Amino acid sequence: MAEVKVKVQPPDADPVEIENRIIELCHQFPHGITDQVIQNEMPHIEAQQRAVAINRLLSMGQLDLLRSNTGLLYRIKDSQNAGPVSFFLSKMKGSDNQEKLVYQIIEDAGNKGIWSRDIRYKSNLPLTEINKILKNLESKKLIKAVKSVAASKKKVYMLYNLQPDRSVTGGAWYSDQDFESEFVEVLNQQCFKFLQSKAETARESKQNPMIQRNSSFASSHEVWKYICELGISKVELSMEDIETILNTLIYDGKVEMTIIAAKEGTVGSVDGHMKLYRAVNPIIPPTGLVRAPCGLCPVFDDCHEGGEISPSNCIYMTEWLEF
Amino acid sequence: MEQPRGKTGWTEVTEPGPGRPGFGASDRRPRAAALRLLSTMTQAEIKLCSLLLQEHFGEIVEKIGVHLIRTGSQPLRVIAHDTGTSLDQVKKALCVLIQHNLVIYQVHKRGVVEYEAQCSRVLRMLRYPRYIYTAKTLYSDTGELIVEELLLNGKMTMSAVVKKVADRLTETMEDGKTMDYAEVSNTFVRLADTHFVQRCPFVPATENSDPGPPPPAPTLVINEKDMYLVPKLSLIGKGKRRRSSDEDATGEPKAKRPKHTADNKEPIPDDGIYWQANLDRFHQHFRDQGIVSAVANRMDQTSSEIVRTMLRMSEITTPSNAPFTQPLSSNEIFRSLPVGYNISKQVLDQYLTLLADDPLEFVGKSGDSGGGMYVINLHKALGSLATATLESVVQERFGSRCARIFRLVLQKKHLEQKQVEDFAMIPAKEAKDMLYKMLSENFISLQEIPKTPDHAPSRTFYLYTVNILSAARMLLHRCYKSIANLIERRQFETKENKRLLEKSQRVEAIIASMQATGAEEAQLQEIEEMITAPERQQLETLKRNVNKLDASEIQVDETIFLLESYIESTMKRQ
Repeated sequence: MAEVKVKVQPPDADPVEIENRIIELCHQFPHGITDQVIQNEMPHIEAQQRAVAINRLLSMGQLDLLRSNTGLLYRIKDSQNAGPVSFFLSKMKGSDNQEKLVYQIIEDAGNKGIWSRDIRYKSNLPLTEINKILKNLESKKLIKAVKSVAASKKKVYMLYNLQPDRSVTGGAWYSDQDFESEFVEVLNQQCFKFLQSKAETARESKQNPMIQRNSSFASSHEVWKYICELGISKVELSMEDIETILNTLIYDGKVEMTIIAAKEGTVGSVDGHMKLYRAVNPIIPPTGLVRAPCGLCPVFDDCHEGGEISPSNCIYMTEWLEF
Repeated sequence: MEQPRGKTGWTEVTEPGPGRPGFGASDRRPRAAALRLLSTMTQAEIKLCSLLLQEHFGEIVEKIGVHLIRTGSQPLRVIAHDTGTSLDQVKKALCVLIQHNLVIYQVHKRGVVEYEAQCSRVLRMLRYPRYIYTAKTLYSDTGELIVEELLLNGKMTMSAVVKKVADRLTETMEDGKTMDYAEVSNTFVRLADTHFVQRCPFVPATENSDPGPPPPAPTLVINEKDMYLVPKLSLIGKGKRRRSSDEDATGEPKAKRPKHTADNKEPIPDDGIYWQANLDRFHQHFRDQGIVSAVANRMDQTSSEIVRTMLRMSEITTPSNAPFTQPLSSNEIFRSLPVGYNISKQVLDQYLTLLADDPLEFVGKSGDSGGGMYVINLHKALGSLATATLESVVQERFGSRCARIFRLVLQKKHLEQKQVEDFAMIPAKEAKDMLYKMLSENFISLQEIPKTPDHAPSRTFYLYTVNILSAARMLLHRCYKSIANLIERRQFETKENKRLLEKSQRVEAIIASMQATGAEEAQLQEIEEMITAPERQQLETLKRNVNKLDASEIQVDETIFLLESYIESTMKRQ
């Protein structure tokens, strides 16, 4: 009797079934499964069917293909990512893989954004293609261009709904790429007034000098709290921001700073030390040279006796003498 | 070979030290003379010296003096030949200059005497009002007049000074009262004790063992110990009122002859012992004043009093150019505080601790014995004052934002363009503009750090930095020129109104003589009306302008003092 080899159709030869099984396996092993594992699980499926199923899952974006040192790994895509991706897929029906690749690269750059030249390096696509793709993506409102504050000609691209990082926009001092000098000036004056009034009250208290000096200091935390309560800032300011403002006051010569060791946990201490600020007076009054007109004269180097500009006919001196 | 006093930064070129190449003993003299030529001052300083000499001593002295400043040390005949003046006049001019310590002389090989001008000493003439005013604050009118006489006459014997000052003071007193010599002598002794006046070097009385001819010029010596030793004089007498027309107008600085003997019948007991004003001591006082006022501005009155006490205690013990004073213990300071200040020991200790901890770093703690040993950091104090002067000039000339950038670069030493914008919080365009402006005026300099050996600009770091010493020198030069301008303007204003001034002087002389001969009120009125009202107004304006220019000269001189002290202190440390 001839043996009839009956090909038993495995019960789950249905392609959809295969895919579901594979997805279940992936869920079981969230770190990824190799081809071998799938084979072990479903030994009755031929390699070709397996490949078809895996390809379909990949193109649908439900699996990630990764390369590890042992071989290829298939990993279930994160459910979070699955969301916008499916949304993305619905939008990108018919878009080619190049666009998907560019989108992937931009997404990986996170909220720092990525420059067009870097996209070119990573994707190895020619410049014209890149530009076309970027225009396409922008018109579909999937990415946006943000002007970097560091180099005003540079545009970085990032996902549409992400907030650009501080280093790109410049932080609290920049609004729409413009440095807000007025805002900085106002903060400058307010901080100085606060420190000045603190020093005044300390001086008038007339206690022994140690206490007087210590009470004329204000920590950066105190100043920060004062500014926040004042409410002159529309943007949320951090303590580092206030410290940069206080540093400009130091460079104005109006404020001095000391650092003291503070216990961890005291309010306002960073890494075991605190910065204290105090309003001070300049150590000399405006110097003698600037009280004479020659000290501020813009044409000083051209002035000599007998010339067009000379001390005898100096108009600045005439004005100054009439004062 | 004595080096010129009052060195500026050119000293390092002129020191003929062993390390310098090409200096053999044989060719030392001409080389050194040539290099001393290099040490002569800039055009601005020479101009200023010329103006000062002319104003104080007249044309001839000015010509000789400026010639000596320009050309270094020269013998008598060469001076006469080069300036085209007669030998007699050159001798008289040199007399005047030597009397006022503006020119020194030395005997060289082969018996040639060379004369050398001290340019920096000439510039001190600007500061005479400040010296006199200091003496007035410390020792009242008597001290003021003593110092004024010494400055105007260069060198004087003690008896001559005492007599002159007593006469002058008697003039100002009410009728019937006179000034006693003893009181003036006391003040003189006090001035000598605190080193404000010192003895001039004199010819030592040696036994002439060799019968050869005397040297062409005497060598003057002075012993450190003898410098402030007051001779035991018994000056008895009282000041005399001056008769109306006999004597010269006092206070008019004329070329004085040396060794002007008074019309005394008795021999002068201290003949040969001459005194001069000790300018270094005055400078030390000004420096102390500057430090005390800086502490008062930064901290409070009590702290400044403590610092003043410490400086007073170190006056005699510390040489004026030391970087630190001697350490003083807290107990000593407590004992030396002025009587009016009754603060307890603990409070004093607290103040001292605060002073030592202050970021200014004027006071430092050097030990713990005796309740804590404290020193005053003089070099640092001078540096801070000079830096504050620079900052003040930048602020007034360029604005407060520029001053912010300047202080920023000063504190951080070296910064890139981008860092300057970030730290100072000034928009990039404005920051760039300000930096370039300060760069063009040499307040800030640029340091290049190349990344590649070919120094390509696109691959080089450019760092902004402030070099305090060179900025101070630049500013000092500007000060000299400014004062020269002010003096010129003052002379111009006076010359413009010369006719009017002469007229008013004539009218005053007429009125005075008429008053002496007893004229009526109506006649005096008539004479006075010779000067019309607008002319009177003009005279008023002229007086006001001249005073303003004068005051401004003194103010600029204050800046010069701070900058020069700092430069001198820094050069000594190097």
